[in-house]
Amino acid sequence: MGRYAIRRLLQLVPVVLGTTFIINYMVWQLPGDPFAGRCGQRPCPDSYVTAMREQFGLDQPLLLQYWNFLKNLFTGNLGTDFNGVSVATQLGDAWPITIRLALMAVAFEAIIGIGAGVLSGLKRGGFIDNVVTLSTLFLLSLPIFVTGYLLQWVLGVQLHVIEPTVTDAATVPELIVPALVLASLNMAFTARLTRTSIVENLRSDYVRTAVAKGLSNRRVVGIHLLRNSLIPVLTFLGTEIGSLMSGAIITEGIFNIHGIGGLLWRAINGQDYTIVVPVATLLVLVYLISNLLVDLLYGVLDPRIRYE
Amino acid sequence: MTKGAKIATGTALLALGVAACGGGGGSSSSGGGDNPRAASGTVYIRGCEPQTGFVPGNINETCGGTINDFVYSKLVQYNSDTAAPELDQAESIETTDNKVWTIKLKPGLKWTDGTPVTAKNYVDAWNYTAYSPNAQLGSFWFGDIVGFDKVNTQDPDGPDGPKEAPKPETDKLEGLEVVDDLTFKVTLTAPISVFRTKLGYSTFSALPEAFFKDPKGFAQKPITNGPFKFVQWDHNSQIIVEANPDYPGPEKPKVKKIVYKMYKDDNAAYADLVSNNLDFTELIPPSALAGDKWKTDLGDRAIDGQQGVIQTLTFPVYDKEFGGNADFRKAVSYAIDRKTITEKIFNKGRSPINGWVSPIVEGFKDGACGDLCTYNPAKAKELLAKAKSEGYTPPAEFPIWSNADGTHKDWIEATVNSINQAFGPDAGVKFVHKDMPTFAELRDTITQHKIKGAFRTGWQMDYPHIENFLNPLYKTGASSNDGLYSNKALDAKLHEADTATDPAQANALYQEAEAMLQQDMPAIPLWSYGLQAGTSKWVTGVKVTPFGVLDPLSIAIKEA
Repeated sequence: MGRYAIRRLLQLVPVVLGTTFIINYMVWQLPGDPFAGRCGQRPCPDSYVTAMREQFGLDQPLLLQYWNFLKNLFTGNLGTDFNGVSVATQLGDAWPITIRLALMAVAFEAIIGIGAGVLSGLKRGGFIDNVVTLSTLFLLSLPIFVTGYLLQWVLGVQLHVIEPTVTDAATVPELIVPALVLASLNMAFTARLTRTSIVENLRSDYVRTAVAKGLSNRRVVGIHLLRNSLIPVLTFLGTEIGSLMSGAIITEGIFNIHGIGGLLWRAINGQDYTIVVPVATLLVLVYLISNLLVDLLYGVLDPRIRYE
Repeated sequence: MTKGAKIATGTALLALGVAACGGGGGSSSSGGGDNPRAASGTVYIRGCEPQTGFVPGNINETCGGTINDFVYSKLVQYNSDTAAPELDQAESIETTDNKVWTIKLKPGLKWTDGTPVTAKNYVDAWNYTAYSPNAQLGSFWFGDIVGFDKVNTQDPDGPDGPKEAPKPETDKLEGLEVVDDLTFKVTLTAPISVFRTKLGYSTFSALPEAFFKDPKGFAQKPITNGPFKFVQWDHNSQIIVEANPDYPGPEKPKVKKIVYKMYKDDNAAYADLVSNNLDFTELIPPSALAGDKWKTDLGDRAIDGQQGVIQTLTFPVYDKEFGGNADFRKAVSYAIDRKTITEKIFNKGRSPINGWVSPIVEGFKDGACGDLCTYNPAKAKELLAKAKSEGYTPPAEFPIWSNADGTHKDWIEATVNSINQAFGPDAGVKFVHKDMPTFAELRDTITQHKIKGAFRTGWQMDYPHIENFLNPLYKTGASSNDGLYSNKALDAKLHEADTATDPAQANALYQEAEAMLQQDMPAIPLWSYGLQAGTSKWVTGVKVTPFGVLDPLSIAIKEA
């Protein structure tokens, strides 16, 4: 297990280097001078463009630019964005909020999604199963921004149950509705995945054996059935943490949450690559690490899965 | 969702509701009759993150420009009703020949750190902005002052080239002279009749002594001289300004504090406005404009107005194929049904124009475009045939370019349809809409003169005068003359207007110059932007300036 974890960690190094290089290369190679659009219909003064290029190292060769990026990344010096504001501070302010939002969303996905999936899987064809099938179908057919605007309008503007937008503090109660919105699509996926997995495993030999041994229903479902059935669900949830971070762009926009998603959205619109690149890099890291954690958790859930 | 899940969600929402009612604080909308704004004297307006710090000479976009105008007073201000220039920090601005201007400041003006506002503050600030190694975005504004070429040197091969711009000979403009503490003299290279009007633009603000000690720190937390003083900037979140107790103007701020709250999404700001969490926004999202929904939502809190922005369609007249010829461009102009497009696409939020100048500025004259800006398919066909008989063969496919990161697709497609319909199927030319991904890429292609087709252009006035819509856009070699249009007679007329000493005569000459654009039609006038804004039920008296932003002195909190 330990050696496996170390080997996996070492594997991350070339992946991180490769992805960051590609991100850097692609972003800075995009057509259009990032400073040309900053003066409206007037051309920007040459002195301004030259000064900005020099400041951000755009006048240097690509490999040197990448080397500087890596150096800065490892020393934690992310420099400033085009507006002259420290990138590290902005990331520092935005991350806790997005992590809170994403974790809450994952928690909703896990609790509601798995709960609904287990219930409907166990009572296949029953009333609950039909309700879950219908409601997940409904959720799956709604894009996130529709759910978001709908809840914001109904609960925030019409009923005054919540404030339509989240304050800077982004406290846990304020984030409940945005997290539900963010989780809505995957909650439905999780429920369906769990249901299928449960239905499949209900017919398997080990469940039959457990039942034949005379184990209580609770023990059969709780220990034997669930542990095995949750492996695909866990894989899904694990990779979700990464994509939720980036998926938060829409939700954070709708509810005006000042997290990573909003930061990335503004930076992409403003072609401010000084923010796009580190944020994308961090997203890659989160994605890789959550995947690693999921792989390690397999062994815990299913003793048949052994590393080495 | 299962029953259990429903209960869980319901409980969560209930808990949230309780939390929202209990902890709503200053911006709660569930209060009774009392105005929650009254106690704190604070109002919340919609904002966005400024691109640069608060150095007036380095700001050229509205996010920073809005707050900049709240905190800096200038020599001249524009009346928020009529857009007319009025003296603000200046006691007098005098000239006999429009070339040498003597500017006297009002006595007793103060910066927020207590130091007096002096003539030297103005001269130092202008020198700093003009000096090219300081790389200020507003440097070109000082190009008319004697000695500009000595403080601002151009890169000989552009920023792409390997050569570097030579270091300027000096960092002081020869044409600026401090006479005494409150008086300074400006000498221009040639007479400019609108120089007084220009002085209200933010680049012409003064900077206090403290700026020069630490320009970087100052940009984040400026010392200012306007109706409001700068308090705090939480990046990407909010900017707070407070009423300046030393503000000498006749009209004082009516609120204690303004929180400029940043939104990423216009719909979020609008939702906050409708539920009275936000007190002002000048951006009503398209979803609310459709079918005049915003007027139903807001009732008497809706503000409908005009602003000094126009939309045009520019041709690369330097290009043999896509530049067309004069008759072809006129044919296109005849073929655009401006009235229907503004009604259908913009819900009357924009109005057709028949000239190249915004209707709200000084010197505007109706009908400068003659009948060329009216929809007339018969004339369009006729002129297209004439253009062909003169030897111009239009390409089979004629693109109109825009940037995909803006909201231009709908109207360009409507325009393209209108042109194609008017020209008919046998025209031998088909107009199409094409997008470039970003504004930066579009501008880059345009300024490098590599664009293949016509392109959308919009002009937002810098100051409310007819001159601002002509000189920068149509003079030979002007900074924003994207189509490289050149007409000696027009240049001469504009020069004559620039140098006229009588303002009325200057305006008449500018109007003549504008009418001359009819001959060649280098850009086709389309429509002028309306203004849709809204307020919460907590505030009153709100006025929006012709620049489309809040007049910070007008907003007041309603009495309970």
